[in-house]
Amino acid sequence: MLRLLKVTGDSMSPDFQEGDFVVITTLPFLLHSVKRGDTIVFDHRLYGTLIKRIGSFDPQTGEVYVQGTRPDSLDSRRLGPIRPEAIQGKVIAHFAHPTK
Amino acid sequence: MIYQLINTLDKTFHFKRAQAHCDVPCGIYDPSTAQIGALTVVRMMDLMAGLESEGVAHENSMARYIAVKEEHAEKVKHEIRVIWGDYIKPEHIEKHPELNDVVFKVMKLGSKARQTADRQTGVELVEAVNQFAAIFWETKGVKTKKAKAPYAPALEMVYPDL
Repeated sequence: MLRLLKVTGDSMSPDFQEGDFVVITTLPFLLHSVKRGDTIVFDHRLYGTLIKRIGSFDPQTGEVYVQGTRPDSLDSRRLGPIRPEAIQGKVIAHFAHPTK
Repeated sequence: MIYQLINTLDKTFHFKRAQAHCDVPCGIYDPSTAQIGALTVVRMMDLMAGLESEGVAHENSMARYIAVKEEHAEKVKHEIRVIWGDYIKPEHIEKHPELNDVVFKVMKLGSKARQTADRQTGVELVEAVNQFAAIFWETKGVKTKKAKAPYAPALEMVYPDL
């Protein structure tokens, strides 16, 4: 399955900026191949639907630790590890806002 | 083209949002850190030029001054780059067409200030950052004033007139 989402906020700037669109794949076999550096969309109990980059990956539990691209990004130090079932999908396409 | 198409569809279907949250509220931008960094560069150049001790003490002090000069010149570039990349919008460039040249000048002078101990380069860096600050505050609708920094080097700075 593919899904289209719009990015809000600037913590992934300059790679992903406010107003950009991303396509994520929710296909399990593609999700299994997530690795460090991939950008994922996931649900968080407090913060809702977030987009972040995978900083590290625990192969035993499948949990991932995420980070933004800016020093002030909300990351796994605050968010905690992201469980596999919370991951909505991996970003496979990006449509940047033309004026950014 | 594809973006415009998706954006049009979004207005009808309202695609889900994925938030790229920051730890602090986004939108806090201020060129004062860069201005202080540029002043520090000049201050270090002055201290280097005035260093009179000899031997190990001299080398120790000189090494510290150079390290701080390096750090702050780089900090100036970083701070300006963040504001320019994350805050500045096309409409700001339209209103201030000289802005990109000012940023370019800051980058070049920041690098040159690391390579040399030439005070004039440091002063030009301060001036370029002040020029950037004046434009930045104008985009915020905040008036600015010029005043000498209340510490050495007492160079003229641009401050928001709040």
